[in-house]
Amino acid sequence: MKRLIRIGLIPLLLAGLSFPSAASQTDPQGSLMWDYMRKLFLNDDPYLFDERIKVLVPEFAEDPTQVPVSVDARALDGDIRQIIAWADFNPIQHIFTYRPLRDVHPRLSLRIKVQQATPIRAAVQTMDGTWHVGTAQIDAAGGGCTTPSVGNADPYWESHLGEISSRRFSRDFGSRYKFKVIHPMDTGLVDLIPEFYLQQVTLKDEAGNELLQMDLSQPVSENPVLTFDTKNSDQSHYLLLRDNNGNEFEQAL
Amino acid sequence: MANPTIKCLFSAAVLASAVLGGVKVTAAAPLQYNLQPQEIARDTWLLQGKTEDFSRKNGGNIVNTAFIVTKDGVVVFDTGPSFRYGRALRQAIASVTDKPVVHVFNSHHHPDHFLGNQAFQDSTIWSLPETGKQLALHGNGFTDNMYRLVGDWMRDTEMRLPDKPISEAMMSQGLEMGAHRLQFYRFSGHTGSDLVMLDKTTGVLFASDMLFFQRMLTTPHTPGLDIWRQELDKLKAMKYRKVVPGHGPVTEGSAAIDQMRDYLSWLDQRLKKSAEQGLEMVEVINLPVDERFKGISLSQAEYRRSVVHLYPAYEDAQF
Ligand SMILES: [Zn+2]
Ligand SMILES: [Zn+2]
Repeated sequence: MKRLIRIGLIPLLLAGLSFPSAASQTDPQGSLMWDYMRKLFLNDDPYLFDERIKVLVPEFAEDPTQVPVSVDARALDGDIRQIIAWADFNPIQHIFTYRPLRDVHPRLSLRIKVQQATPIRAAVQTMDGTWHVGTAQIDAAGGGCTTPSVGNADPYWESHLGEISSRRFSRDFGSRYKFKVIHPMDTGLVDLIPEFYLQQVTLKDEAGNELLQMDLSQPVSENPVLTFDTKNSDQSHYLLLRDNNGNEFEQAL
Repeated sequence: MANPTIKCLFSAAVLASAVLGGVKVTAAAPLQYNLQPQEIARDTWLLQGKTEDFSRKNGGNIVNTAFIVTKDGVVVFDTGPSFRYGRALRQAIASVTDKPVVHVFNSHHHPDHFLGNQAFQDSTIWSLPETGKQLALHGNGFTDNMYRLVGDWMRDTEMRLPDKPISEAMMSQGLEMGAHRLQFYRFSGHTGSDLVMLDKTTGVLFASDMLFFQRMLTTPHTPGLDIWRQELDKLKAMKYRKVVPGHGPVTEGSAAIDQMRDYLSWLDQRLKKSAEQGLEMVEVINLPVDERFKGISLSQAEYRRSVVHLYPAYEDAQF
């Protein structure tokens, strides 16, 4: 059984295409929301579904408050302006916008909250302005003996807000940073708790050059765990975070 | 050809509530569990569930329930996934004895083990004290979840909490029912509160979900794989002739315990090594289970669920 779903265009169709064909603009998930979402996030820019953009999710949201999502756009490395990810059927659809600037592989992972079964999209804009869309389907809460998590009833974050744990792993492609930030990531949609979430992530090198910028939205899970892949394994880096209340957090990695 | 717009609307609505893919339309056949009591030892009857996941086809009958007929009345161990199942279990009991059901035990707070309680209004339903608390907190959530998973099989099912916590005296002295001497043990590996019952008269060990056999174990509420493993060693050391797992076939000897222990050790190592290499959760989910576990029902699916339950703690240990 194939549990991780990657749906996109047949790559052969794409090879050498300078204009997206009509077929490539058909949403593989057939979602009614596609056109609305596309206009919202991609305006009327040219786009095509592109199988080379990999969106990896589990088939079922075992814990709907912590659904792992990885986006891998390495196939278009060097030609990427930004990546926008969203979930069609979430009340707040936008998940993140990611801009690779230097020395990073355009690949990242994080965990998100989903409200119900939904397509997850990652639209990668190349330098010519075209959007290459990767997509995957995630089904609603799965498993027999699982109840939906109550969410962030845990007040732990109050005394640990912004604490960052991080680690660098050396990988054959360079290195991977994995980090975890203590933050409630409140959506503003539950029990009159105002929205309170991390909005900006920046990774810099020692000289202050930015490697990547990322804008996060409310669907990112409580106490976010993110990974970024860098090409250099011998440099040291630091991380800057900012939430919607203006709190700033910084950590040498 | 079906109107694509209507089809899309329909699937969006169904997806919002359907938890499992697959069967969305229940067949017109009447929903019947057809429980066949199987005599596994003297006075001891097993209703063996399928080694599957919950579905609208099996009505949640994926669990083993059992009863012991004594001259003082019947003892029931677990009541199944629905009121309908509970009634079918009563019929199965009535097909082998006219003795009343005196005592009912709920092994732990998972829905397939207690939602038949409503059919036992005239019996005393017991559980470990901690299980009662877990049920009060999560039981209704589980019940709602079961309606989504198996649909109409659940009709009229409501959570009925156990009547009484098993007392310390009962834990230490056990329970005499007719010629049967029942001993109780408190474990925690599967959910933090797992009741195991040993019939010292027949040597049948009712291991509940501390033990799965030929059906991959589930981990949503385990306090830790190491705890579960240590407790399996204790189970193995107990004197029994036959063991009834919560899911899967009855065995003699320790084949079931050995299979579980092997998998738990393997899973622990898999998660530890993955975390050490910095793998993302999806990468770990995407790895195959070891060849030797592939013959176990639902091994890949349950492995993936377990990664979601357990991997964050292994990641934390690497920071
Ligand atoms: Zn269980
Ligand atoms: Zn069970």
